[in-house]
Amino acid sequence: MTLLASFDWQFIWDHLPDFWQGLKATLKVAAIGIAGSLVIGIVLGAARAHKLPVVSPLAAVYVEVFRNTPILVQIFFIAGALPHLPGHPIRLDPFTIGWLSVMVWGGAYNTENFRAAFEAVPYRYREAGLALGFSRLATFFNVTLPIGARIALPSSINTYVSVLKNTSLLTAIGFAELTNTAYSLESESFKPTEVYVTLGAIYLVVVWTLSALMRVVEWRLSIPESR
Amino acid sequence: MPDWVDPVAHYMLHEGLKATLRIAVFALIGSTVIGILVGTLMTIRFRPLQALLRLYVEVWRGLPIIVTIFLVYYALPTTPYIHHRFGAFAGAAIGLSLWGSAQVAEATRGAVQSIPHEQHEAAAALGFGWLGRHVSVILPQAMRRLLPPLVSLLANVIQNTTIASLIGVTELLATGQRSIERLQFEAGADSHAFAIYGAVMVAFFCISFPVTRLAIFLERRLV
Repeated sequence: MTLLASFDWQFIWDHLPDFWQGLKATLKVAAIGIAGSLVIGIVLGAARAHKLPVVSPLAAVYVEVFRNTPILVQIFFIAGALPHLPGHPIRLDPFTIGWLSVMVWGGAYNTENFRAAFEAVPYRYREAGLALGFSRLATFFNVTLPIGARIALPSSINTYVSVLKNTSLLTAIGFAELTNTAYSLESESFKPTEVYVTLGAIYLVVVWTLSALMRVVEWRLSIPESR
Repeated sequence: MPDWVDPVAHYMLHEGLKATLRIAVFALIGSTVIGILVGTLMTIRFRPLQALLRLYVEVWRGLPIIVTIFLVYYALPTTPYIHHRFGAFAGAAIGLSLWGSAQVAEATRGAVQSIPHEQHEAAAALGFGWLGRHVSVILPQAMRRLLPPLVSLLANVIQNTTIASLIGVTELLATGQRSIERLQFEAGADSHAFAIYGAVMVAFFCISFPVTRLAIFLERRLV
């Protein structure tokens, strides 16, 4: 309590618009990253579960590489190494680097989530779909996907929350998201306690809200009999 | 091999990799000790204690690790009554331990609760107190379920040590970046950034891949 009493509340109040600017950038990058990792997860997860030739082994390599290297190194690789790619330099702006790196990272984790989920769909359900005359693709969209996506939901929710939290690492490449905004604010005001406690509180509110929303979605989508 | 490779590799392995592994070991020990303690206490049916420990877990699980490290390293020293400044190394190790302990606490709580109630009763009947019952009877059995998440935590801790570079610890990633800057300064245009960042990726992959495999293997064998 003494901590809160010693706070320069006026300073926090005056700089709330700055935090809001940073939060908007964080949410924008996180939203693109989450949406992208959902698509990557479903497509490559399906390819892995159905052992699609060529695509499945490539997806396996992608998953292992991105799950076994730190995301901060991945960010620096995209931002710092690709511009020096021998013969074909690739230069991206910080915003693109931002959503691309969290999306590719989340996609790798989500591929694994959806692979496990699709494989957990009982084979007899798929057989039933095929027996009814559905094509393999139609069986996937009408049987495997609706059931598998529900099985994947709890683990993929964790991935989406991690994607949001990982956008904070984009501060390392100077992208003006929430953490970076706080960092610059601290270096010009020398009020680290106020700035970082506010930063932490904002993250907790956003992360807890996102988790709660996801649980609502999970509950709404759950099959009534299994509630 | 070009002559720039040798000094860079030497610097990255002897200074960078060593620091990475040292932080990882400290953070893993800190996470495990605090996490098992918090997780076991979470199984006690006493509302205020449960609420307090739940808050501890949700806070350190909810905050991005970089924010936790910034709080420990930058914000704590200016807090009234504390005024203690940790070094960058300690700041990173403590920040990672807070995050890791929340992960371990959740896993421990689940593992302890999975032990059948008869085990508690049998231990109590033999005259064990709460502490003796947990240390000698419950936790050894819970370890079986706890080991796979602890091993996959190790892989995550090793990867997340890179965040320490952002507060100035010269771990593997930071030594790579310093080498790139030095080469750029000396040689001008060619900084070998692609090769060096690639090497950092390969190094982390070589450490992390066997550990995640081991976690999957243990998961299949033990759970």
